[in-house]
Amino acid sequence: MSQPFRVETIELDLPPFVGALSRRLYDAGLPVTPARSADFARALDLVRPVSRRRLYWTARSLFVTDPSQLKAFDRVFFEVFGSQSDDEPLEPESTEHGPATRDLPPATQPGELSHGAPSMASAPGDSDDQAQEAEVPRLLASGEERLATKSFDALDARELAQLYRLMARLELATPVRRTRRHVKSRHGSHIDMRRTLRGSLRSGGDPVHLRHRRRRIARRRLVMLCDISGSMEPYARAYLQFLTSAVGSGPNAEVFVFATRLTRLTRALSSRNPERAIQRAAHTAPDWSSGTRIGDALKEFNDRHGRRGMARGAVIVILSDGWERGDPALVAREMERLSRLAHKIIWVNPRVAANSFSPRAGGMNAALPYLDAFVSGHSFEALQEVVDAIAGTADRRPPTAELEPEEDWGSAIPVGGSSVAMPSGYGPSRGNTTAGWVTDDE
Amino acid sequence: MSVDEAAGEIRRLVPDVETLAQRLAGVDYLVDEGLATSMFLSLRLPQPLLLEGEAGVGKTEAAKSLAGVLETPLVRLQCYEGIDAAEALYEWNYPRQLLAIRLAESSGSSLAEEELFGSEYLIRRPLLRALEHPGPRPAVLLVDEIDRADDDFEAFLLELLAEAAVTIPELGTIRATHPPIIVLTSNRTRDLHDAVKRRCLYHWIPYPTPEREVEIIRRRVRGASETLAVQVADAVSRMRDSDVQKPPGIAEAIDWLAALELLGVESLDAGTVDRTLGSVLKYEEDQEVIRAAGLDELVRSE
Repeated sequence: MSQPFRVETIELDLPPFVGALSRRLYDAGLPVTPARSADFARALDLVRPVSRRRLYWTARSLFVTDPSQLKAFDRVFFEVFGSQSDDEPLEPESTEHGPATRDLPPATQPGELSHGAPSMASAPGDSDDQAQEAEVPRLLASGEERLATKSFDALDARELAQLYRLMARLELATPVRRTRRHVKSRHGSHIDMRRTLRGSLRSGGDPVHLRHRRRRIARRRLVMLCDISGSMEPYARAYLQFLTSAVGSGPNAEVFVFATRLTRLTRALSSRNPERAIQRAAHTAPDWSSGTRIGDALKEFNDRHGRRGMARGAVIVILSDGWERGDPALVAREMERLSRLAHKIIWVNPRVAANSFSPRAGGMNAALPYLDAFVSGHSFEALQEVVDAIAGTADRRPPTAELEPEEDWGSAIPVGGSSVAMPSGYGPSRGNTTAGWVTDDE
Repeated sequence: MSVDEAAGEIRRLVPDVETLAQRLAGVDYLVDEGLATSMFLSLRLPQPLLLEGEAGVGKTEAAKSLAGVLETPLVRLQCYEGIDAAEALYEWNYPRQLLAIRLAESSGSSLAEEELFGSEYLIRRPLLRALEHPGPRPAVLLVDEIDRADDDFEAFLLELLAEAAVTIPELGTIRATHPPIIVLTSNRTRDLHDAVKRRCLYHWIPYPTPEREVEIIRRRVRGASETLAVQVADAVSRMRDSDVQKPPGIAEAIDWLAALELLGVESLDAGTVDRTLGSVLKYEEDQEVIRAAGLDELVRSE
C-alpha cells in the first residue's frame, strides 16, 4: 500500500476516534447507535492493518444502511480523512448511487492523514456546523400553503420543483374490489375445507379447529389519460409530476398522454428518479404542444388497451381541457364505450377554475354525460379533490336538484375548485347505454 | 466441535480481507474491496450481511460463493408474499403421523405420543436446517429477496436469528451449535425495517467496471475470446447508461456472451446484436430504445 496508515495512531486513540466519527456521522443524519459504534471498534480490530481505503469500507459497511445515506457518509468521511487521491480510487463504481466526492475541497496531503483522528476528537464543536449542513433545506409551511393554492399555469420553474415534494405526499388509492381468489383469514365467512381437513389430521381426523377464508381484496386499477396538447401546456409539467406519483403509487397504475396520438408512459415514468422519469417521458411522447384529437386518442386507447382488459373495472382519470380539433361525435362514442368498461370515469379540467370559463369546447360537452366526477384540479389543493374522487369519497354526493335529464351542460359548470358528482352510470345503472343524465342514482 | 473451534476454523480459512478475496476468486467470484471487506466482517464479527443492488449484479451469487469458500452447505430461503413459519421453519408431517397411528391400530401395537412427535415426523424447512447444521463450520443461510416477504416475517426472522434457537412445543428448544452465516438480499421493492438494517452489515453492490466485467464473464463462459468479451462488456455498459428500464445485469452479459459463442460469432457488429438482442434486453420497449439509438453506436469502438 502506498498510503501510510499509521496503525499506531488509530490503535492508540481507538475509543475517542470511534466515538468522534460515530458522532459526526450521527450528526450528518446516519442511523448510528452505540451498539453500532462498538461493532465498528471490533471491526477495526479485525481488519488491521487499517489503510484509509479499508477504513472507508469498514465504516461504510457498518454505518450506511441505505444508498441514500452514501452522500452524507462520504462527505463526513472525506472531510475527516481528506479527499480521495488519484492513485487510490475508493469508489470505482457508478456515480449514480455512489458518492459525490468531486465537489469536495482539494485533497489533504496523505501525511496529514494521521492528524485526522486526534484533531477531530479534540474539536467536537465542529460537529454543529456539520449538522446544519446536513439538514436538507425544507420548505416553510406557509410557503407550501401559498404554493398549494396557486394555479399550475402561474408557477415558475422553482415553484414547480418545490411542487414535486408536495405531490409525493399525495396518496392515490383506488377503491377496492373483491377478487375471485381466497386468502386465509382468522375470521372469514367461508370455511376453508382444505385447511380444516389438513388441520384435522393433527387431531386424529376430527376437525377440532375450523379454518376460515375470505375473498381477497384488491385495489382497482388506475388509468390516467393526460392531454398534452398546446392548450394544456401550462399545466402539462405539473400534471406530469402528478402522473409520476400515480405510477409510483402502486403496480396497478397505467399512464398515457395524448395530443394527436396516444403514448403509453407507464414504463417511462416508473423510475426511482422523478426528474429523469419526466425527461424520459418528454422524450417518449413526440407530440407535445400540438393539436388535440381526444376522440382519436380515446378510440386508440379503447381499441388497443381498454378492451383487452386494462379499462375493465378500472378508475379512469382524464386530464384535459376538452378542446377538440376532431369530431365531438367520436368523443361521445368512445366515451360511451369507455364508460361501459370502466368502474368510474373522472374528468379533470383545469380551465373550470377560471371565472371567465365558458365551456363551449365540443369535446368536453360530448364527454359530460359519461362522467362520474368532474373536478378542476388546477392547483395542488384542487388536486386533493382528484385524489378524493379516485378514492371514491367524493362522488356519492347527491346530484344537484336542478339538473334535468336533458339539461344543457351550461348549468353543470362546477364551481371553481369544487367537484360535482356526475350521476350517470354510477352504481347499478352502469352499463346503461342511453346517453344523458340519469337523476336517479339507483 | 464447539463454537469456539468453529470460529477458529473460520479464522484459519479467512485470516484477512485479501485472503477472502483470493479464495472467492478461486470459486470464480470476483469482488472489489468494498464487498470483500463487508463479507469478511460478516464472517468474523459475525453479523448478518444485507446485500442490495440492481437485479443481476450477483447478490445471490455472493452467498453461494461464500458457501463455496467455506466448503459448507448453502441453505436458501426464497421469500415471497405471505411466507410463514410453517414454510420457513418447520411443520409436522401430519399424513405420516396419521399413517403411523393407523398402522399401530391395525397391528395392535402401542404408540406413545413422544414417538409421534419425534424428529422423524418433523419436516425441516430452510431456517431449521440452517440452525441444525452440525458443522464443522456453520452453514451459509441465504435469505433471498427478503423485501418480498411481509414485514412481520422480517421481525420473526430476526428474532430467530438473533437467538440462534427455536422452540418447538412438542420437542423443546433446538439451539444451533453453529449459528449460520447469514446473507440477506433485497431488490428494494420496499424499504426494510430499521431494526433489520441496524442488525446487519450493509453493502450496495454496484455494476462492475467494464474491465472487471470482462474478467467475470470470461470466467463464466469458458473459451470465449477476449475480443468478444470486451465488446460485450462495453455494449452492456452502454446499455446501462442509456434510458432502458431494466438495465442488463452481469447475468444477462453472461447469457449474451454464451449465446454469441454458441452462434460462432467472432466479433460483435450491428447485425449480430440485432439477432441476439433478446438475450440481453428482455423488454420490447428497452429493445426499441437501444435500436432507436442505433446498433452501430452500441458496438462502436472507442
